[in-house]
Amino acid sequence: MLKIQNLKSGYNGMEILHGINFEIKPAEIVAIIGPNGSGKSTLLKSIFNLAEIYSGKIIFKDKDITKLPTHYLIQEGICYVPQGRQVFSTLTVRENLEMGCFILEDHELFKRNLADVYNKFPVLKKRENDLALNLSGGEQQMLAIARALIQDPELLLLDEPSLGLAPKVRKEIFQKIAEINKEGVSIIIVEQNAKQAVEIAHRTYVLESGRIVLEGEKEILKDERIKSIYFGGV
Amino acid sequence: MFNQLFINGLIAGAIYALVASGFSLIYSVCKFVHFAHGAVIAFSAYFLYFLFSKLGLNFGFSVILSIIFASLLGFLINLFVYKQLRKRKASNVILLIASVALLIFFESLILLLFGADVKTIGYIKISKGIEIFKAIITPLQIVIIAVSIALLILLYLFMKRTKIGKAMRAVADNKDVAEIVGISSEKIYTWSFIIGSAIAGIAGILVGLEQNLEPTMGTNLMIKGFTSAIIGGIDSVPGAILGAFLLGFAENFGIWFLPSGYKDAIAFIILFIFLLFRPQGILGIKK
Repeated sequence: MLKIQNLKSGYNGMEILHGINFEIKPAEIVAIIGPNGSGKSTLLKSIFNLAEIYSGKIIFKDKDITKLPTHYLIQEGICYVPQGRQVFSTLTVRENLEMGCFILEDHELFKRNLADVYNKFPVLKKRENDLALNLSGGEQQMLAIARALIQDPELLLLDEPSLGLAPKVRKEIFQKIAEINKEGVSIIIVEQNAKQAVEIAHRTYVLESGRIVLEGEKEILKDERIKSIYFGGV
Repeated sequence: MFNQLFINGLIAGAIYALVASGFSLIYSVCKFVHFAHGAVIAFSAYFLYFLFSKLGLNFGFSVILSIIFASLLGFLINLFVYKQLRKRKASNVILLIASVALLIFFESLILLLFGADVKTIGYIKISKGIEIFKAIITPLQIVIIAVSIALLILLYLFMKRTKIGKAMRAVADNKDVAEIVGISSEKIYTWSFIIGSAIAGIAGILVGLEQNLEPTMGTNLMIKGFTSAIIGGIDSVPGAILGAFLLGFAENFGIWFLPSGYKDAIAFIILFIFLLFRPQGILGIKK
């Protein structure tokens, strides 16, 4: 579904990813794990054209989408949820979701998508008219995911969705992600919280210093090399 | 006496609110201080003077043209100056300096085009005021208060109900997330200039009808509008409106205790007090 070929990217002329090859198939969850500063977020940002791309290609459904502007990517069916519970805090929950559909002109479609999203996240329906800043951390993260889902994406990019959340809430978020995937949405999830991410993922890539060093399924966590990547030369 | 000062405060507040709401709308969306807003206000008053008093066009038609002109002027300032600076990754301080330069430029342009002498639009003959609750108010002043309040309600509804209004609040809240969901912040900046400057145009017209026209009128109003916005919270349009009425009342009740020449000093003292002790303003959120 999405293929990345020999991608080199970074910010302000500084290369962070040094030649990434990556693939995700339809209805797959792929986790990207690795230590801080390994370039995990940069990989997602490169797909969503928020980083500078120096060379390489990103292909989505046989179409070259490298460096396409945001609204094209959304129309193609890719949505991005940035790190850190990013919501419009002074807008209500419903207004946040409306903004998620900003580029959608069809009002009927919006209503249908809204009902869908409320179905998946009943707590958001309950707090529809509250300002987003009054939501709990977990609710804000759900709102951020819902705001992307309402665009009805085929591929969802999640940057550290469990960051800063309590263990119980974290579990709930991971459950929701698995549920969303069961409905056919492909998901790329970047996580510090490696264990839980690998458990819900079909495949995992391990990133270190801008390169993919390991690739595998759930058994990857038992790999000795993981330890050395995270803790340095064991 | 109290009633008269109250009404005077209300009139001043209504005008300041129009200045401050357009200014703070642009600030909250674009996140920089657009002092040239004052120039847009002055230009719209002079444009009305030119169309109505000089060319002798129909009054209503002149008013509408002046508002459109003000809106267009704001749009062009953003397009040819601020947008170009943003493209070159200029900081907000650079934009602020550019806005001061624009204010001086446009005031000089007014001086060049219309001269330094005071002008009057003279649409409304000086009329005797009406007495309400032992206070005197002219029909024009009633119109000023009514137009101002109606416009502020309209602005509120626009920001709450329309798609563009909501997108403006979204960009003001978090520009990066707005971009991620496909809202182009440059487009929304443009909208904030069009709408903010149209409000400035209306402010300029009302001031031009009530007072005389001078090339520096924009700067004077801008100082009051800026103070209002600081008092109420510069990031919040409702805050700026609240601040405007508070400033209007403070100035007018102040002359109960002080000679009327100190009116402007009151505004500055309040500005300093707020900048020192509550820089985020009354409704602003401390960041």
